[in-house]
Amino acid sequence: MLNITNLHAKIDEKEILKGINLQVNAGEVHAIMGPNGSGKSTLASILAGKSDYEVTEGSVTFEGEDLLELDPEERAAEGLFLAFQYPVEIPGVTNTYFLRTALNNIRKHRGLPELTMSEFTKHIKSKVEMMELPASLLSRSVNEGFSGGEKKRNEIFQMAVLEPKLCVLDETDSGLDIDALKIVSGGVNALRSPERAVLLITHYQRLLDYIKPDFVHVLMGGRIVKSGGAELALDLEANGYANIEEEFAVAA
Amino acid sequence: MIAPERSRFSDHFRLLQPLLESVGPAWLHSMRARSIDEFEAVGIPTTRDEEFKYLPLNDLRDTEWVPAHGAVLSRSEIACLTLGKLDAITLTFVNGEFAPELSTDDLLPEGVAVLPFETAFETMPLVFEKWMGKVATTAQKLGSTNDDRFIVLNTAFCQDGAFVFIPRRVKLDRPIHLQFVSDGSHGPVAVHPRVLVVLEDEASAEIMESYVGIAGKTFVNPVTEVVIGKNAQLEHTRYQDETLESIHIGNLAIDQSADSTYNSVVGQFGSATARLDLNVWVGGSNAETWLNGASIGRGSQKIDNHTRIDHREPHCQSFEVYKTILDDEAQGVFNGKIFVYQDAQKTDAKQTNQGLLLSPRAQFDTKPQLEIFADDVKCTHGATVGQLRKDALFYLRARGVPKKEAEGLLVYAFAAEVFEKISNEAVREALEARLFEKLA
Repeated sequence: MLNITNLHAKIDEKEILKGINLQVNAGEVHAIMGPNGSGKSTLASILAGKSDYEVTEGSVTFEGEDLLELDPEERAAEGLFLAFQYPVEIPGVTNTYFLRTALNNIRKHRGLPELTMSEFTKHIKSKVEMMELPASLLSRSVNEGFSGGEKKRNEIFQMAVLEPKLCVLDETDSGLDIDALKIVSGGVNALRSPERAVLLITHYQRLLDYIKPDFVHVLMGGRIVKSGGAELALDLEANGYANIEEEFAVAA
Repeated sequence: MIAPERSRFSDHFRLLQPLLESVGPAWLHSMRARSIDEFEAVGIPTTRDEEFKYLPLNDLRDTEWVPAHGAVLSRSEIACLTLGKLDAITLTFVNGEFAPELSTDDLLPEGVAVLPFETAFETMPLVFEKWMGKVATTAQKLGSTNDDRFIVLNTAFCQDGAFVFIPRRVKLDRPIHLQFVSDGSHGPVAVHPRVLVVLEDEASAEIMESYVGIAGKTFVNPVTEVVIGKNAQLEHTRYQDETLESIHIGNLAIDQSADSTYNSVVGQFGSATARLDLNVWVGGSNAETWLNGASIGRGSQKIDNHTRIDHREPHCQSFEVYKTILDDEAQGVFNGKIFVYQDAQKTDAKQTNQGLLLSPRAQFDTKPQLEIFADDVKCTHGATVGQLRKDALFYLRARGVPKKEAEGLLVYAFAAEVFEKISNEAVREALEARLFEKLA
């Protein structure tokens, strides 16, 4: 589904990604872990199409298509979803209006009819319940005045509504208490399916207790330095990143 | 020094004086005569006058205005207006003249009056005498550039207008709509509408005031005086949507007593040149003042909002959010004065002003002006001028909303946030729909 080959990228002349290789197939859950500043969030932003970064080398294909050629909205329409590390507040646009506009644009792209307000309400009902979102959050402005946990739950809720093929979660677990973490993980697990892939970007192993990954990759100094199964995350939890850093002697 | 040339308005006054003096009490006649002299002593301002620094008024000087004397409009023409079908106690004025056929005749709670001046002069003369011209004035108030010239120009021509009186402890549930329609289809007309609103202690009401143009070119120079008694509450929406050739210079003055709440939303959509001075005198302690404004200028529109809050007494709060969207070659001005008088300790005043420029040729001049003479106060102000927020735009696009639609949504949201403060759903939705249309 997703093929990243020798990806190099920089921001303001500073090289952040120095040759990333990663293949994600449908049905798989991959976790990318790494210390702060290793390039995790940069990778997520580049996948979603944030224009601040310049890709200097390498390629990214999504279902065979050149992802880097697509605008952010085209990527979303093709089925890529980024759950933001810091969801953006948009005063004046209600959550419901925003999400229905997004969904209908994606549906239009897929040749599906747009949903009326009542069809939309029906479509989101079970998802609202799953994410335990208070009804008032739906009629409020997007993320405005939401608590940290509400913002993250809202991200996963949007993901459930938009039903993407590839879910990229950028540090969705950071700052969550244990209850919110359970709700968020429950939402992600409910979306797991043989047709869908998940890319979890996280600093902590804790999230992986709730969402069991098929593969774990360690990102350091802009490269994936180690890959393995779920046990690699436990190893990191026990021994920290320092050991691996020594092992591979990567300059930060 | 050469005496300034008298303006066209002096001719209007001479022409109309006999007619004007057929209406209202004697004290008003002398007030009018005094006012036209006061206006002519200063004349139409130029950009050398501090309060009009960014608002050239050559067109006001050069246009051959004639005094307005009513016009006939049908109900169906009124129904097409943004707030034309609003379910409310409605007084409609066409080119300054009361139009009973376009107004409602409601059964009001005892003591409540919603009347044209002509009737109210007879039934409530003392209220007029007590307040007329006493609220809309900056005489005896702080400030070195106080400029009341358009208020006195209005007073000189004061004839018809809307009068609202809510007696003590009456909470009026049904909203009031004061609708001023201008029609310049038979040549450029000058109109000077006047409004007096008095809420006695512990009264509460919701008032919509709209100034809309039908056709042609008009100069509309309204003055609204609002008196809010102790512990009284007023929610007030003022909407301006004159034709794009017109000049609108409005003054809205409020006098708040202790423990009162004034909640204002101002929407400026129309006119080639639109100016509003909103002055709030907070003359009692523990009062709350909320000022929200949204203006949209396109083409070569010039939109100028001046606000002024006089915190005279301690323990009062004011919250102000003014937003301006400017496209094409439109120009916007914001001037926000807050005076905190020496006794007004524990004042909490917060002023926010934002300009959104959608074109490289649009221009916005903003000037927060805080003058604080008390030492234990909390006053903040913030002014930003900029383009759409990049992070919000990316967020919308990353969810599948195409760039153009996302931009439109954010521009709309920028101003809609202001209209969200209107609790009357019909008014809020009508203004949001008009905003959407204006931005399209």
